[in-house]
Amino acid sequence: MATQETQVLDNIIASRRALLVGGGAALAALALTKPAAAASTVTAYTDNDILNFALNLEYLEANFYYLAAFGTNIYTTNSLYPTGAGVMGISGVGTQGTVVTKPTTCKVPFTTLQVASYCVETAIEEGKHVAFLRSALGSAAVAQPQIDLVTSFNALASLAGIGAAFDPFASDANFLIGAYIFEDVGVTAYKGAAPLITNKTTILPAAAGILAVEAYHAGLVRTTINALDPTGALGLLGYTQKISAVRTGAAQAATTTKVVDDFGLQNQTVSLSGGSNVTATTIVDADPTNVIAFSRTTTQVLNIVTGGNAVTTGAAAKGVFFPNGLNGLFI
Amino acid sequence: MNIPSADKISELYQKGVSRRNFLVGAGATGAASVLAGCGDNSMAASPTVIATAYTDADILNFALNLEYLEAEFYLRCATGSGLSAADAGTGAGTVTGGAQVTGLTSAQQNILNEIAYDEQQHVRFLRSALGASAVARPNIDLSNSFNALASAAGIGSTFNPYANFDAFIVGAFVFEDVGVTAYAGAAPLISAAGVTSGLLAAAAGIMAVEAYHAAYVRTYLTAQAIASSSYAYLGYANKVSALRATLGGGNETTLTVPTGTAPFITTIPTASAIVAATTTNAIAFARTTDQVMHIVYGSAGAGAGVKSGAFFPNGLNGKITATLS
Repeated sequence: MATQETQVLDNIIASRRALLVGGGAALAALALTKPAAAASTVTAYTDNDILNFALNLEYLEANFYYLAAFGTNIYTTNSLYPTGAGVMGISGVGTQGTVVTKPTTCKVPFTTLQVASYCVETAIEEGKHVAFLRSALGSAAVAQPQIDLVTSFNALASLAGIGAAFDPFASDANFLIGAYIFEDVGVTAYKGAAPLITNKTTILPAAAGILAVEAYHAGLVRTTINALDPTGALGLLGYTQKISAVRTGAAQAATTTKVVDDFGLQNQTVSLSGGSNVTATTIVDADPTNVIAFSRTTTQVLNIVTGGNAVTTGAAAKGVFFPNGLNGLFI
Repeated sequence: MNIPSADKISELYQKGVSRRNFLVGAGATGAASVLAGCGDNSMAASPTVIATAYTDADILNFALNLEYLEAEFYLRCATGSGLSAADAGTGAGTVTGGAQVTGLTSAQQNILNEIAYDEQQHVRFLRSALGASAVARPNIDLSNSFNALASAAGIGSTFNPYANFDAFIVGAFVFEDVGVTAYAGAAPLISAAGVTSGLLAAAAGIMAVEAYHAAYVRTYLTAQAIASSSYAYLGYANKVSALRATLGGGNETTLTVPTGTAPFITTIPTASAIVAATTTNAIAFARTTDQVMHIVYGSAGAGAGVKSGAFFPNGLNGKITATLS
């Protein structure tokens, strides 16, 4: 029997399907049951504050991929590191934390060269994002906050109706689903942040370039999941739809009327010039009408990575991936 | 949703609030002769900065030309016909070449349909945002252009991207990474008014979609090359990449076929794939309008004054049509 939360997710997924079949003619709004609360009250910020918000997310991503690829977090030496990977600094402003992982090794026992290789590539690139942002911020860089990569995934899986537990380090497929959780969010976070940046000479181009790399990763993950489970028989496409629905639900936890801002892998009906309706596979996570990637505010992103805990005015969001909250101004 | 309405952006243009100066960095490194073939990917751009006055509308129209090209290519690959007259604008130029790619699996057709739809909607969004300022589709060549590029890249004297899905993917490869670099280069040029109106966010969001597409293409090529050591199309794509580097100021990352023996219990692949095209800081490349034009014009020559060729035999429409360097 569906819980109230999984029922809400089903509703979101159903509305998304209707939206796709309709060619995105109208954006469906959903009434949800979460209590309304005010969003973040941050009004004055600098470019450094925005970069530090991004740095928190990059710490999360880099640790996930390093653990999956090499079996160690970003601040631990490992003889497996290839060119481009290495030990990262994690000290800085705020409370420094560790990375909580399962007791056994997190190194994914990859059975395909393809997925193993993609994991290594992404680990290297996300690690470089950490290094780049820390370098750009200098002494203003925030420390790595406490990060949870065990109970976080279990909680998300439960919320998404995938199961009571989920280990993204267990297999090639699980790793891809774990990666799916992060990459589209990275795109929406950088896209939401881009217009807030003041320095258009150096900071904005860098942020735009990182945004594009997150989209490359997101496209890579979607393409590979779709190739692995083209018909959805393995259940992976269904997982992506549920995760997308969770992201929408968490991002907009404070609002009763939610706007669809996330699409899992599925087939949609689209109309091409000349009027022919055809089937298309959503290898892109974007608004179905304008086909422009979605934006999320810092509060919405906080809600996703902390599980909808940024809804209380003035209180730091804690939970899921960041059990003690983030470091910096946007918390 | 944070996507601005096209009407709102259009309204801003009509109020004329977006005119101001910005700097157009132009790739000064000579785009070497197209016949040079494989270029050096590490070639560094050393931009010359030229002060030029363009509006946000000029920048959007530059992007619209590129979206016309992409939409025509993908729509013809998907269905055999291109943009409707209404989507091409009054006085639109002609499109030469292009054909439906046949023999696809349904999964392949669904991907092709998706990309065609996405680019079609980008045309519609930009046209709507620009309103009366939107340029019409220029003349586009989708046949001789590929042959010339193939020849210049050292692939062969001709190349038919409509022959099969893999050939189509190489055709798509020609465009997608360039789209990413073009939007990445254009985003910082958008005015303060354009930031407020949501134009910057829109450009960033379109860039992201181009990167999703580019990732599909690069992932597909890599996966096929892993599956078959005799797979030729990844090599073609890398020749295209090398040519783009020569014409477009470097800004390329060569596709790599990973190596290693699964399972990877205590080991990692001896070489990894490179799906994302990035700098050494893992930041996507950005190109100036000049660098983009040198690529889509197939670089009839180096330096300033190149204003037509390859995909645009009569040049682009709008204010940004000829290279300044």
